[in-house]
Amino acid sequence: MKPMTKENAIDIDKSVDINNEMTNPQVSSLQIPAEEVKIKAEDVRVRYGEKEALFGINLDIPQSKVTSFIGPSGCGKSTFLRCLNRMNDTIDGCSVTGNIHMDGVDILSKQVDTVLLRAKIGMVFQKPNPFPKSIYDNVAYGPRLHGLGNSKSDMDEIVETSLEKVGLLKEVKDRLLEPGTGLSGGQQQRLCIARAIAVDPEILLMDEPCSALDPIATAKIEELIDELRGSYTIVIVTHSMQQAARVSQQTAFFHLGNLVEYGETEQIFTSPQDERTKGYITGRFG
Amino acid sequence: MTELKESMQKAQARLKKRHAAETRFKAFGIGALVFAFLCVVMLFSSIISNGYTGFRQSYMKIDITFDESVIDPQGKRDFDTLNRADYGKIVKQSLYDFFPDVKKRGDKRTLSNLVSSNAAYTLRDMVVADPSLIGTSQSVWVMASDEVDMLIKNVFKREDDESTRPITNKEIAWVEKYESENRIETRFNTNFFTAGDSREPEQAGIRGALMGSALTMLITLALSFPCGVMAAIYLEEFAPKNKFTHIVEVNINNLAAVPSIVFGLLGLAIFLNIFGMPRSAPVAGGFVLALMTLPTIIIASRAALKSIPPSIMEAAIGVGASKMQAVFHHQLPLALPGILTGTIIGMAQALGETAPLLMIGMVAFIADVPGWINDPATVLPVQVYLWADSPERAFVEKTSAAIMVLLGFLITMNALAVLLRKKLERRW
Ligand SMILES: Nc1ncnc2c1ncn2[C@@H]1O[C@H](COP(=O)(O)OP(=O)(O)O)[C@@H](O)[C@H]1O
Ligand SMILES: [Mg+2]
Repeated sequence: MKPMTKENAIDIDKSVDINNEMTNPQVSSLQIPAEEVKIKAEDVRVRYGEKEALFGINLDIPQSKVTSFIGPSGCGKSTFLRCLNRMNDTIDGCSVTGNIHMDGVDILSKQVDTVLLRAKIGMVFQKPNPFPKSIYDNVAYGPRLHGLGNSKSDMDEIVETSLEKVGLLKEVKDRLLEPGTGLSGGQQQRLCIARAIAVDPEILLMDEPCSALDPIATAKIEELIDELRGSYTIVIVTHSMQQAARVSQQTAFFHLGNLVEYGETEQIFTSPQDERTKGYITGRFG
Repeated sequence: MTELKESMQKAQARLKKRHAAETRFKAFGIGALVFAFLCVVMLFSSIISNGYTGFRQSYMKIDITFDESVIDPQGKRDFDTLNRADYGKIVKQSLYDFFPDVKKRGDKRTLSNLVSSNAAYTLRDMVVADPSLIGTSQSVWVMASDEVDMLIKNVFKREDDESTRPITNKEIAWVEKYESENRIETRFNTNFFTAGDSREPEQAGIRGALMGSALTMLITLALSFPCGVMAAIYLEEFAPKNKFTHIVEVNINNLAAVPSIVFGLLGLAIFLNIFGMPRSAPVAGGFVLALMTLPTIIIASRAALKSIPPSIMEAAIGVGASKMQAVFHHQLPLALPGILTGTIIGMAQALGETAPLLMIGMVAFIADVPGWINDPATVLPVQVYLWADSPERAFVEKTSAAIMVLLGFLITMNALAVLLRKKLERRW
């Protein structure tokens, strides 16, 4: 695995990353003004036990935009995403090194309270995973944990606005007390998004949120992502390049644990700089 | 050409052999099944045919004169006097009056043995409740003795030779006189469920054993359920995966296979001798059975926890729950049906356990119904063992009846476990 980094290293002169010219093979055409950077990852390396999964990722994620991660499966997109809210902490034997700053705060530091961190960084998973509880309780769970909505009416309001934001309120208004697992797949996924935004996060991480859904439900989620963009910084992992092209402003292409190319979505899809990106986008591998 | 033919024939022969092997295998399987089923049918039919009469008891109507000179010669009418009076004498008198011809002392003694010694208690309770009965004459239904009961239930057969049955022709004649006047009937044996153990079969009941079992199970459950579930949660979710926890895990699995009598010896050595717990008491029995049940509960609970999809935990952690909150808010409630099923099955095992309890003295003859966990007691399976060991014929039906009660509890518990699993199980 390790020698791959060197083998795959491409023309260094194409690299515009000034900080890490030598170690980082990445092509980045993106210039994000410092004040718009929401998350700054520097040299993030992850290993699962002996196995290295990420080889030094440098990436700036801009505020209030949608950033998508694409790449063949197993390349480390989810792994990197889980670094951003420290979900990797829960995996035995997983170690993360490097720096990740969110609004200037080092979130990998031991002092960071992961509970508060995860209240700020919501997550939506590949497979819709509502709790086997009522729709209401699904949404109310996060706020309850964080002591929000102490009175019944406050909580009702949080639940309703969250469901409203994901466009689910109309559909489930009169069955809030029925189990969330009884909804259709697309509705379940929107319920999960409502659950994530109920604690009023700043960032939403989505790991292939549509891969288990049919095209119509997918379209709805994509629409929703577009609407949420203004209020949240969104990072979405997707295996569908069309989806990345439709919903995101920036796209990062991962390959074998490396960030190969990162740029404006349009640029990545129309004029990729790296051969591997080109190959992936044109469907030659993946 | 011939070669081909030969090889075809050989193939045919092999095929035939394979089919025969398959048929044989199927036949063995079905045979085993039929055999097992027959065994179960035999077991149950033997128990039920022996035991169903245990739930009925013969009663005799005798004419009683509540003689003041016997009960309360001084006319005090206070509780002590009424409670201690010699009601046995009144019962006997009633029988002598019914058969004025019986004069010989030996015959009189045999005659008075037709009714149970329990009859005196019946009279006492009547008089204590209503002292105005003194001086009156009443017809009272009292319990028949176990021999009469066996005769009525046709266990002792009248047509058999006198020498081969424990009841004489003379006694049968007396009983028949009562029968001819419709003074004998069999009723539902409530005494069986309200009385403790007794040396007299007709008076023996399973209340004491039931209470003993209930109290023992209470202790077992109170100890093994929380300990087992906590251990399972810790091992499954929080324990670091190292050599030490691995050894613990292996030993829990080993513990499940330790013969139960060993737990009894352990209980004797530790709970009785070191901690000084009372002998024959449900508290000690409960501790011993809890040790025995723990591995079952831990193993079942871990399996139940493991079966909850990790996506639920991820979801909870994703909205900011700590690991402990995620476990207690989501994983544990979802695993509860499985945990309860395992617990019920473990408890059912403990309920049927005899050997370890023999070691800590729960095998004594105890007539009193235990009131609390440190009273001497016995449990249902040990009661079965004790009665099976008694010489009187009437204990046979008691034994089978007690087995039926025990099996009833076990089947109910297992059915409950299945029902819980069916009802509360969620699918993803
Ligand atoms: N919990 C884990 N334990 C061990 N290895 C893992 C674990 N999760 C992911 N990996 C490994 O890390 C690499 C990256 O995986 P992942 O981030 O899930 O890829 P992607 O989401 O891009 O498909 C893969 O090779 C995978 O086998
Ligand atoms: Mg993935």
